Amino acid sequence: MAVYKRAYKPYTGSLTPTWSRFLILPRYAFRTVFRSKILTGYFVLCFVPFIVSLAIIYLYNNPIARTLIGMREDQNFPFSIGGRFFYYLLRIQAGMAFLLNIWVGPTLVSPDLVNNALPLYLSRPFSRTEYVIGKMSVLFMLLGGITLIPDLLLYGIQATLAGGGWFMSHLDLAGAIVASSLIWIALMSLLSLAMSAWVKWRIAASGLLFGFFVVTAGFGAIFNEVVRTYWGKVLNIDYVFSVIWQDLFNVSTVTGISRRWVGTFREQDVPVGIAWLVLAALCSAALFMLNKRLRAREVVRG
Amino acid sequence: MSSRPVIELDNFQIDLGGRPILKRLTCALHGRCIGLLGPNGAGKSTLINALLGFHAPSFGTARLFGRDIRAEINVLRHRIGYMPESDSFIAEMTGVQFVRYMAELAGLPARQALERAHEAFFYVGLGEARYRRVGTYSLGMKQMAKLAQAIAHGPRLLFLDEPTNGLDPPGRNRMLRLIREIRDTEGMHIVLSSHLLRDVEECCDEVFILKDGRVAGQTNLEAERAANRKFLELEVSGQASSLPEAFQSLGCECALFGNTRLKLVLPDAVEIRELYAIAAQRGTQIRKMTYRRDSLEDIFLTAMEANGGEAGSLHRAGSPRSNGGRNGRL
Amino acid sequence: MSTQTAIMQPPITAFAGRPESELILFENVSKFYGDVLGVNRVSLQIAPGVTSLVGPNGAGKTTLMNLMTGLIWPTRGRIRVLGSSPSDPEKFFRMVGYCTQFDSFARGVTGYEFIYDTLRLHGMSAADARRRTIDTLERVNMTEASRRKVAGYSKGMRQRIRLGQALAHHPRVLVLDEPLNGLDPMARAECMALFQSLGREGLHVILSSHILHEVDRISDQVVFIQSGYVVAEGNVHGVRDEVTDQPVQILVRSPEPNRLASKLFTQDHVTEAKITDDRRGVLVRTRDSNRFYDLLNRMVVEEGLEVEAVTPADDDVNSVYQYLIGSEGASI
Repeated sequence: MAVYKRAYKPYTGSLTPTWSRFLILPRYAFRTVFRSKILTGYFVLCFVPFIVSLAIIYLYNNPIARTLIGMREDQNFPFSIGGRFFYYLLRIQAGMAFLLNIWVGPTLVSPDLVNNALPLYLSRPFSRTEYVIGKMSVLFMLLGGITLIPDLLLYGIQATLAGGGWFMSHLDLAGAIVASSLIWIALMSLLSLAMSAWVKWRIAASGLLFGFFVVTAGFGAIFNEVVRTYWGKVLNIDYVFSVIWQDLFNVSTVTGISRRWVGTFREQDVPVGIAWLVLAALCSAALFMLNKRLRAREVVRG
Repeated sequence: MSSRPVIELDNFQIDLGGRPILKRLTCALHGRCIGLLGPNGAGKSTLINALLGFHAPSFGTARLFGRDIRAEINVLRHRIGYMPESDSFIAEMTGVQFVRYMAELAGLPARQALERAHEAFFYVGLGEARYRRVGTYSLGMKQMAKLAQAIAHGPRLLFLDEPTNGLDPPGRNRMLRLIREIRDTEGMHIVLSSHLLRDVEECCDEVFILKDGRVAGQTNLEAERAANRKFLELEVSGQASSLPEAFQSLGCECALFGNTRLKLVLPDAVEIRELYAIAAQRGTQIRKMTYRRDSLEDIFLTAMEANGGEAGSLHRAGSPRSNGGRNGRL
Repeated sequence: MSTQTAIMQPPITAFAGRPESELILFENVSKFYGDVLGVNRVSLQIAPGVTSLVGPNGAGKTTLMNLMTGLIWPTRGRIRVLGSSPSDPEKFFRMVGYCTQFDSFARGVTGYEFIYDTLRLHGMSAADARRRTIDTLERVNMTEASRRKVAGYSKGMRQRIRLGQALAHHPRVLVLDEPLNGLDPMARAECMALFQSLGREGLHVILSSHILHEVDRISDQVVFIQSGYVVAEGNVHGVRDEVTDQPVQILVRSPEPNRLASKLFTQDHVTEAKITDDRRGVLVRTRDSNRFYDLLNRMVVEEGLEVEAVTPADDDVNSVYQYLIGSEGASI
């Protein structure tokens, strides 16, 4: 009879390519994320604006279909499919994606920090940058999946249905869609990762994240009232994005949703350059927080 | 012992928070299992962290297996396993998921990672528990899971920081047995950092002692053990008070502890038989005779004293080497 | 030493002659946390000196310590510490000092404040407390670091400051849960010496530890706990001489094992003689250790038998632990 003894053996097989290692993080993260039924349900719900827009675009370009829903052939929607349409669509989608981000973001970094798992990551051929990129890619895939990708799809469908003329006159719209979504996703994911690295308890991180947006907006409004100016609006991140997006989509100033939220407002808008600066500052702050918190070993002084 | 040094330090200096923690360390370590010893604050953890690449040196070089850690740290990290002293896990993952995840991050393809994760769990003795979340594990199980993630990707160099921390005696025995088995595997090296000298003595063949960020001692334990055949501990029945004198007349140094225990140094010329003869003459039985097991303690204390006076950390009267003083240490 | 029989009856201990005021008494004490068992029907009488609690994690050591220090009350049974009961806190808490295994502090407190505040809580005047704090800090060698925040201490330093806090009010009963955790070898040796000297002074030093050879070195009494039951308690050394239903195990290392073994087989008190795997020793089981040692000693002196080492294989805490509780633990 043969008796086999189990002994330790070093590994001598092949290794995965180094550049692809950061993708391990989203693979495992999605397994956890989609285990929650509520979250999966909400994720699906976030596609509703896409579905509705799809229907609108189809109807807009299809007179016969319009008659089916009770409109006359020559009657059409009171708006056109263009920059304004996609701007509003993105606003709505971003609103829904915002909640998704607050929910999912903290589940990415907090669990690793709560029980000090980071040294285990970093003692492997895996850098802090790869870690952050890996975690951010989770959010990029999730949030991009409900903003950027569907919107580009809609753009493509509209261009196909409306013909070459529409496409030629709306060339930069594609760029606007991509740029707006990407910077929004980038900032949101950085902020939520940074917050969840700073506050180790997951629920607190979510609450803090949400509160951050609300409090800054409120503070900005108070500032405006007290100092009798409009500069406080830079503290309202939602407003800052609306300024940038309006610029990218080439949409004139509108009575945006944000203004109604803020309550009192001043007529003048913050210049676009300043808005970009605010975003850059927030990005840097988030990166600074991440750099400080994501360490293999905390150095205790004194 | 391997011929090529496992760890080579050359004027290696690490500054943290503006203060020098490791001060120009220079050494070459060859052992299969290297014990890392030192008082609290000596820089043991910092050294391990530095060799893992967590801190950049402010001066000097360090090499593992001949490779500079600054230039080739990513190559090295494929071959290193780390078991930290403090809790280190992801609570929401199950044991298998966690170890598999970590193995994949070390470069293993997904399927091999899963296979090796299970092998690692079998090796450390966690059975069904591997399917439960790590957050629900008891302390001993967490330690074993930590060891599992350190070995799953098949490294050649293991850093174990206080591996028996918090383990009850059976757990400690098991951990030490595993460490010895890994040590005896071809091509494996272990760096074991611990405050428990017994653990280090049982597993290590070379010891590296730090104090205050400097090298306080480096000893080849195997050679020490061979030389230690001369130090004996005896336990006798009956009255032992007359024995020290008799033994000393043979030429041995001898000291008595309590009523029945003796420690003595046996010179080459004296045979054990002669000790038994004397005992029989005095009507006592020798009931226990062993070679000193705490030679490492002596080595350690010598290293401490040679590097800055007061070895003890609590106030006490008298020096450690006085005859019969302080637990009667020889 | 007494061992629990299979029906788990409380042992009949031999502490006759000591008044209640000198003992820590547990009378049929049980503690349940809802359904979960802490300890069940524990009866102990602990005399002055160093007593060690030994057992697997979760066996009930911390529960016993919490009961002893009055932090929790038993579900059933009576506890008396040096004649006082926890229901008389003024008297009780002065006598007891507790150093837990948990490492938590008030935020921002320095080492000095940590001890000073405790002493003031005990009702000492500011001047007395100041003096006593400095004394205690010296005793645990934390004087230089005392002005720094505890949060910045290393693990070993935090252990020492907590030890200081337990000692500061000069309690008569010192309860220490894994007190050597995180201490470097020198500090370990010093602490052990300290505990021994306190035990000699007449204090009740109760400590729990997993490091059995250290327990062996300093304890006067050992209590083995498993799954909430006390499975054995008493003095470890010499235990094997008393327990005669199990033969004593002795390991003799010798280059001539066969010679020894063949002689042993002629002895009627020897129940087993096994040559070790490396062929350099004999593991002997004998019912009469006295006669065995006589024989062995005689063989060395008169017949020139070469012997390298003689060790009783079951006379220390480690071996008793292995008998009672298990050697490596089962696969979980």
